[in-house]
Amino acid sequence: MLRIIIDVLIAVGAFFALAGTIGVMKMPDTFSRMQASTCITTMGVIGVCLGALLYAIFVMGSPATAVKVVVIGALVLTTNPVGAHAIAKGAYQAGIRPEKRMETDDYRRDFDE
Amino acid sequence: MQKTSFPAVLATFIASYAFWILLTWSFSSQELIVGAVVSLIVALFSARFFIHEKAFWFFNPLKILTALFFWLGVFMVELFKANWDMAKRCFGGCKNVNPGIVKVPVDLKSDYAQAALANAITLTPGTITMEITEEEGQTYYYVHWIDVQKPSGKEAGDAIKGTLEKWLRRVWE
Repeated sequence: MLRIIIDVLIAVGAFFALAGTIGVMKMPDTFSRMQASTCITTMGVIGVCLGALLYAIFVMGSPATAVKVVVIGALVLTTNPVGAHAIAKGAYQAGIRPEKRMETDDYRRDFDE
Repeated sequence: MQKTSFPAVLATFIASYAFWILLTWSFSSQELIVGAVVSLIVALFSARFFIHEKAFWFFNPLKILTALFFWLGVFMVELFKANWDMAKRCFGGCKNVNPGIVKVPVDLKSDYAQAALANAITLTPGTITMEITEEEGQTYYYVHWIDVQKPSGKEAGDAIKGTLEKWLRRVWE
């Protein structure tokens, strides 16, 4: 029973990571690709970390591993948005624009032209 | 930038020491002493970046419980819904997207609350905070939105932020 729960959690993580990867490959422009990659760092990491946490507690019986898994998850979840924000802003200011003009683009209105 | 004060250094020291113990997870005296020295050095250098307001705002059980309930409960539900939406878009061939950048007013005052809200918005798939500006005392976020449903302003803000802002105000203000 426990193994089933662990497997389901890891499978959910892998599913969302797959969805994010497909999005990164197929989305039409840079910013939409970044949006899809957030899928990997949220549900992907959370699912896999939860599965690993249960595994570390109940199967391995090692609190050190469990704590490290929690710290890894927390660090990924806190540092990812900072990087995403910096990359998005940097890409926009470096002049990268979507091919199709965005319908609402207040950033361009207020800062660019 | 703020000056380094003793309470700020103490709070930073406690936070970094807790992180050290969590990462090493061994309680031999050598590890603990080295950890204390390293955390003290780190605290001296980084307290002025880490602490902006009251130093011990977080050592309050009620706030910790509220924050835990927010991040592990309310936010996880929002995150799962947004992820499901995004996964459907991705498996549907990435065709039904309508990206745009909207400008959203935010009523939070504290630095921590603003940073936490920006991070929460960025973590949710479908929205990325690009810039925070302040105009005439009102804070605005520029948010890249994968599926723009409403033009800029209060309604777009409600659609993006949901209940996040209310909870963050309860934690930080």
